[in-house]
Amino acid sequence: MGDITDKLRAAKNKRAGHGTNHASPKKPKKVKSQAAETIDLDLDDDELELLASQPRRSRSNTTAADEKEQSPAKKPRISEPSSNGLTKPDVSRVKKSDSPQTVKELLDSIPSVDLDNVTTKEATQFSWKGAGGDGSGASSELEIPEGQANCLLGLTIVFTGTLPNLDRSTSENLAKRYGARVTKSISKNTSVVVLGEEAGPKKLENIKKLGIKAIDEEGFKRLIAGMPAGGGDNQQADKARRKLQEQQEQAMKEAEQMAKEQEEREKKDKLSVGKDVNLSSKSTVTEDSKLWTTKYAPTDLRQLCGNKGAIQKLKTWLESWSSGKKPSMRAVMLSGPPGIGKTTAAHLVAKSLGYDVLEKNASDVRSKGLLNASVKFALDHKSVIGMFKSISDDHYSKNGKRFVIIMDEVDGMSGGDRGGVGQLAQYCRKTNTPMILICNERNLPKMRPFDHSVLDIPFRRPDAQAVKARLMTIAMREKFKLDPNVIDRLVSVTRGDMRQIINLLSTVTTTSKSIGSDNIKSLSDNWEKNVALKIFDITPKLLSGGIYTENGAKQFPLYKKMELYFDDFDFTPLMIQENYTSTTPTLLRKGQTHLNAVAAAAESISEGDLVDKKIRSAEQQWSLLPLHAVLSTVRPASMVAGNVTRRINFSAFLGQNSKTGKFYRLLQDIQYHTRLSTSTNKMGLRLQYMPTMKRHLLDPLLRDGSAAIENVINFMDDYYLSKDHWDSIMQFYVGTDDTTAALKSIPSSTKSAFTRAYNNVSHPTPIMKLGVSTGRATAAARPDFEDVVDNDDEVPVEEENPKDEDEIDFKKDKFIKQVGKKKTKSKTKKVSSKK
Amino acid sequence: MSYATKLELPWVEKYRPHLLKDIVGNEDTVQRLQTIAADGNMPHMIISGLPGIGKTTSIHCLAHELLGDAYSQAVLELNASDDRGIEVVRNQIKHFAQKKCTLPAGKHKIIILDEADSMTSGAQQALRRTMELYSNTTRFAFACNQSNKIIEPLQSRCAILRYSKLTDEQVLKRLLEIIKLEDVQYTNDGLEAIIFTAEGDMRQAINNLQSTVAGFGLVNGENVFQIVDSPHPLIVKRMLLSGSLDESLQYLKELWVKGYSAVDIVITCFRVMKNLDEVKETVRLEMIKEIGFTHMRILEGVGTHLQLSGMLAKIQKLKS
Repeated sequence: MGDITDKLRAAKNKRAGHGTNHASPKKPKKVKSQAAETIDLDLDDDELELLASQPRRSRSNTTAADEKEQSPAKKPRISEPSSNGLTKPDVSRVKKSDSPQTVKELLDSIPSVDLDNVTTKEATQFSWKGAGGDGSGASSELEIPEGQANCLLGLTIVFTGTLPNLDRSTSENLAKRYGARVTKSISKNTSVVVLGEEAGPKKLENIKKLGIKAIDEEGFKRLIAGMPAGGGDNQQADKARRKLQEQQEQAMKEAEQMAKEQEEREKKDKLSVGKDVNLSSKSTVTEDSKLWTTKYAPTDLRQLCGNKGAIQKLKTWLESWSSGKKPSMRAVMLSGPPGIGKTTAAHLVAKSLGYDVLEKNASDVRSKGLLNASVKFALDHKSVIGMFKSISDDHYSKNGKRFVIIMDEVDGMSGGDRGGVGQLAQYCRKTNTPMILICNERNLPKMRPFDHSVLDIPFRRPDAQAVKARLMTIAMREKFKLDPNVIDRLVSVTRGDMRQIINLLSTVTTTSKSIGSDNIKSLSDNWEKNVALKIFDITPKLLSGGIYTENGAKQFPLYKKMELYFDDFDFTPLMIQENYTSTTPTLLRKGQTHLNAVAAAAESISEGDLVDKKIRSAEQQWSLLPLHAVLSTVRPASMVAGNVTRRINFSAFLGQNSKTGKFYRLLQDIQYHTRLSTSTNKMGLRLQYMPTMKRHLLDPLLRDGSAAIENVINFMDDYYLSKDHWDSIMQFYVGTDDTTAALKSIPSSTKSAFTRAYNNVSHPTPIMKLGVSTGRATAAARPDFEDVVDNDDEVPVEEENPKDEDEIDFKKDKFIKQVGKKKTKSKTKKVSSKK
Repeated sequence: MSYATKLELPWVEKYRPHLLKDIVGNEDTVQRLQTIAADGNMPHMIISGLPGIGKTTSIHCLAHELLGDAYSQAVLELNASDDRGIEVVRNQIKHFAQKKCTLPAGKHKIIILDEADSMTSGAQQALRRTMELYSNTTRFAFACNQSNKIIEPLQSRCAILRYSKLTDEQVLKRLLEIIKLEDVQYTNDGLEAIIFTAEGDMRQAINNLQSTVAGFGLVNGENVFQIVDSPHPLIVKRMLLSGSLDESLQYLKELWVKGYSAVDIVITCFRVMKNLDEVKETVRLEMIKEIGFTHMRILEGVGTHLQLSGMLAKIQKLKS
């Protein structure tokens, strides 16, 4: 059970994090594009200032990077004014004013869609039937058109609505592959809109207003097939081509520069090492026998790819320590997926400010006790190493004796680290040494103790632009050929994992010395990361119609669908059960309605439940698990699969199930008590007695107010019911009998009078006592168990003991809390007095 | 070699490749490993793939070729039979990584973690920084069946090599080599049967070959299926696909008379049906449902011929 609740919490968390995660990466871009000029200029100034004190090489380095950042590239940025000398072709304007011949001709030859006839989202009621027919009919001719390389170069394409055959991501990838820019919203820069079913009405309006060419999927295919390589010989394609080339050249230049710098540095290092005999004898590991990830590990903050803002934030935070005043947050938490340089950033920032590092990671035991033994003492201490370091560097003299604690893989605290997280969170509040915590998943429930005690700095996956220069440097140094165009692909395959890309390159280049578009396909298939999907990814995947069409089934065969079930076979069936009604089926057979499909799916789910019972009951027939996969998940999903129209909800079964359990327990309790005067079982009590009980327990109070109290209490005594039972009985009523409103309408004076009246009178109790014992009952019982040992009175004794213990515990708790409070107070006082 | 010792040693061990070049299949990957063996500087790596396709063998070969005589002291091998909890990772593995070991340039200590997908995620977490901090002296090699059971941070640190299923020709070639060395009597349909039942699993193929030889002396189709002891998937496939009920009942009778139990038949039916691309998927799901319910009834204790016949009749009905 604990397991399940954990999962539940994690899932909820994930959902909560979902929305923000999706929204966040987009935001900065937009903001930037609007206020592009000012912000960019600001940044430049800052960085230039920063750089002024640094050696020349780094300067050229970053400015180059900046320039690249600002060039519009493939990012969906609206054109921004050039801010540092690099003139950029303004693609959009060119496109609008003098339209090229070839593209225009081709586009003209493609019939545009009649905008008034396109079904919009409002119109779904009458259109989905047709859409369903389309889905089954058109699927037979799913062929992805082959076009010339870069044939869509210079075009800006918007996809909207659902295309009959290609799904959204496929079509977008297709367009991107041929060099087109794909944007989400329609603007005057848009060259072509590819319209599908159920497009947003707002978008249609925009299209009409701006007079943009709209084509359907057929037209899109023809566009790809018809365009000449390189986007034709028109102006905009030309410009785009030139830009692309420029970009590449720039990346190459940067790479060369970086490579040169690194070589120089290494030479210098070697020289200095050569002087120092002690060191050289120690470092027996040659560069060649190092892993590439070590060899090319960033040695300088500027070499880190992406996350510039986050790193700057971290640096500012750490700098604020050295000024003597402690920042408001004494610890930071870096979070993000693996392989994007969190640990490296933490180490480099510490190094650049001259801090010494104390690192603890998952390979160290970090239980509460051991943390107390090892880390706690470090919190107020100073580094010894700093004293022996040469004080030539400016920073060292200032921070030499200080150090920073880096806690790596905080979410990796697990078995054997009991109490570690809580303890660590406590340190975060009172530490006198800067602490940097690093984790992958910030949203996990076990990371909650850190919520208000750390400064959160999320790291994001770097995009292809950010890593290009770095990878080209490595290619240059290792002397293999890397086609700059495939870097995008590498980044998407590894999901932005820089370390993985370097590992990939180092392995692949053992056999082949060039990586280009010809072997990237097989590479990316092999290197695709294989991570178990989470239920919120599995469910929409299973419910999407695309994988059940004939072609879809070929690409995603049955056994793969079943594998989805096995990724989390406890929750996937529950999730399907929760969400199977929130789709618009696209694969209905002739004459079948949506309701039929849902009914059939429900039937299948219930059959799956029969199987589940065989698996999880005493019989333990686990060999039926594949059958359960089909009946509870794949088959119902196949019946209702289509477009998911509502948000995927987490299974409500768990909550409802525990509610059912609770009511059964209450009912059981009531039945025990009424047993002396009733002759029925639990079900009978609920079905036959309870409706009548309402008339005697609640209705008089509503009708006569306090005058009815005596009658009600008498009735309760007849059935040996306590006041608690009265409360719980009121929860049982459903439907028209629901009592929530009625309970509220009882005046509070009546309620309190009722409670008082009940407590004033002693009540008959059956032998079995489950509720709280009143003071008198125990007082009466007390003399008894001095004389008689084995008697019925053992029951109250047992009851009493836990109660006493509870009280003691409570007191203890209070005591501890008070002491704790005092302690922390005195500590803070001490701290402040120290200052 | 005397007859007794010949029996004692399983052929899987006897003919386990000792050099990378002897490994069958996955040429590209093996070639890459050979380059690594020659040049040194082995990266951290994960080899993933189905059972019996040479994952562990390749790692062993690589370690031997890299380290030669130093193998015994520079390799730490742990598999699922060893305790690999978080304690072991924090103590044994970390200590081994810290150990000083004099090796030629470009060679590193190797820690082999076989069946790594059965390690707990806590233990895997604890490996992360160890892999990085000691990468100058120690390299890790993981072998696993499902790479998605390896946590993402570890995947990010490793070169991932995926081994694909061996093709029938590759299995056949190796089997013929062994047959030649062992001087085995065989027929072609026997070899076919072995390859068919192995489904690309070399270990299974060799084991079945040895069992058949030990049991019957002659490798032919009939003997192999007696050893393998599951209904021939081909017959089951024919039974499920046949055009008329009479025909499929005939096939069932054939299997039933041979003495296969109802559970074996129905499980094979399920497996065959799952991948039966000849039938449309929607129909297949219905058929699977019928097979599944029969499976359930058989597990309840009614493993009768009648149940299986009923199942076939229902499947036949679904076809029309």
